[in-house]
Amino acid sequence: MAFDRYQVEQFLYHEAQLMDEHRFDEWLALWTEPALYWVPSNRDEIDPGREVSLIYDDWVRLQLRITRLKSGFAHAQEPRSRMRRVVSNVVVEEAGNGEIVAHSNFLLAELRRGKQDLFAGRTIHRLRPHNGSFKLVTKKVLLVNNDEPIDNLTFLI
Amino acid sequence: MPAREDVDYDSLVKEDRVHISLYTDPAIFSDEMDKIFHRGWVYVGHRGEIPKRGDFRLKRIGLQPVIMVRDQNGQVQLLLNRCRHRGATVCQEGQGNSRSFRCMYHGWTYQLSGELSGVPSMEAYGDDFKREELGLVKVPRVSEYRGFIFASLSPAGITLEEHLGRAKDELDLFVGLSDAEDVEAVSGIHKYSYQGNWKLAAENSMDGYHPAIVHASFAQALVDKITHIPTPEQERINRDFSSFRGNTKDLGNGHVMLDYKLRIYDALNADPTPAVTAVSSEGQAHLEELTRCFGQERAANMLREGGTHSFIFPNLILIGIQMRVLQPLSADRTEVCLYPTLLKWLSPEVNTIRLRSHEAFFGSASFGGPDDSEIFERVQDGCAVELEPWQLISRGLHRERHEDGVIIGDLADEVTQRGIWRHWKKVMMQGIGATRSTRKRGPGAIAGKRG
Repeated sequence: MAFDRYQVEQFLYHEAQLMDEHRFDEWLALWTEPALYWVPSNRDEIDPGREVSLIYDDWVRLQLRITRLKSGFAHAQEPRSRMRRVVSNVVVEEAGNGEIVAHSNFLLAELRRGKQDLFAGRTIHRLRPHNGSFKLVTKKVLLVNNDEPIDNLTFLI
Repeated sequence: MPAREDVDYDSLVKEDRVHISLYTDPAIFSDEMDKIFHRGWVYVGHRGEIPKRGDFRLKRIGLQPVIMVRDQNGQVQLLLNRCRHRGATVCQEGQGNSRSFRCMYHGWTYQLSGELSGVPSMEAYGDDFKREELGLVKVPRVSEYRGFIFASLSPAGITLEEHLGRAKDELDLFVGLSDAEDVEAVSGIHKYSYQGNWKLAAENSMDGYHPAIVHASFAQALVDKITHIPTPEQERINRDFSSFRGNTKDLGNGHVMLDYKLRIYDALNADPTPAVTAVSSEGQAHLEELTRCFGQERAANMLREGGTHSFIFPNLILIGIQMRVLQPLSADRTEVCLYPTLLKWLSPEVNTIRLRSHEAFFGSASFGGPDDSEIFERVQDGCAVELEPWQLISRGLHRERHEDGVIIGDLADEVTQRGIWRHWKKVMMQGIGATRSTRKRGPGAIAGKRG
């Protein structure tokens, strides 16, 4: 099927803004089952059945992640990170089943407790067309620093 | 930083309180590196991290860089990572597989067992050049228990057996009675650091008083799952958490533990929980022995999400399915590595659920660990208050029980913190007046990856 590249970019920018602004419910509403929110540890390509990830959230775990962040007791996000990220280098391809895979790069400035950190990486979104926009099916984030000590990754990435 | 042989540790560590300078003073940190990390037994790594010949990982003993490598003969070697010629490190990658180590300054090459095998233009040296005496320096004492490799930079001292004492039982349970080569520790590493003293992580890891407060958000997620996502496991989780009981234990030599039988880490997993089965006859024997000792349900839980909750003085923590290693960097900076383990004889489904359970609570993006780190940084910040410079560790002091040399308290008593500090003080005071065994290095010298 044909896809509208502009629409895909708009979706990615919107998602980035929701993450930056801790708009947890709106972010969660972007997803559809069966979800996979995946941030591999140590390397970009791992076997998640035999190797550990930083995040490997299925549909249930994803909702619980938001429950935790909204609980008021997620101390590593109290106070919350201040964030702004740039999403760029978007490459879109058809993935069959009418779904779309979008590859993009991001650069994120994150500030907390007087310390500003820089995160960078490549994100692979699998999107399903839905009511003129998209639903998020899977999201895999390849962090540049996934083999380095990461002190706090409790915000949405 | 000069050594502080004049520190009056007896006045800084009391039975019921400890002084904040123990978390902040660079001179005390330097003294700890010498007396605890360089002279005593420290945990370095597990055999399961380097299963094949030529496999290596970079480690550190105290602040000194070490290569842990499986040599040509299958023997584990610990080699100091420094060329004998002009001193550059010979291994740069955190982990990998190699046939030799070569210094890229002048090309001196070393075998995996440390022997110097190649010197470019060796004829330029005289007859007194003894290649056999110029291998990579081997760590003076290396000893192993169930594949856990410990080392000491001091050539003399008590044996590992004496050091571990009762803690050996906990190492047994952590690996489900597996043989050393059955433990797989090549499933990646969770790495993080925090702006705080290394002992904060040691004390907190064996603290049964903090979870209800520090981990309230994890509890909230758990309640949410039970309430809104009805599952066959609901009844089990309710029952487990409502009947949660346990003890703190001081096993001696600074080794302490939380003794409880609650399933925590797999509570956020999708259902159903896979049955625990062995895929080899040796594994079946281990499973049967565990079942005989602990009953079927408890044995299965131990293999699904971990069999002990222990601190092995000074730098190894066994919680869930992870080996956690504390790496002090300076008085107020610590790096932590979590090594999730799999067991070769467990079915792939059970090994996968071990990882998913681990990820729920541990690592930089998890629902548990980052909140602990946040608290460490708040405590370190609090150390700036010098007007009242004490931290209290008196909880349950009046009701400690002594049974066969083990001190026991309720799960939320500070038996474990007192146990760590009692041994810490003993080691730090023993060294007073002794000859220094190793040269001091400032924390600024730290660089490079660990694997």
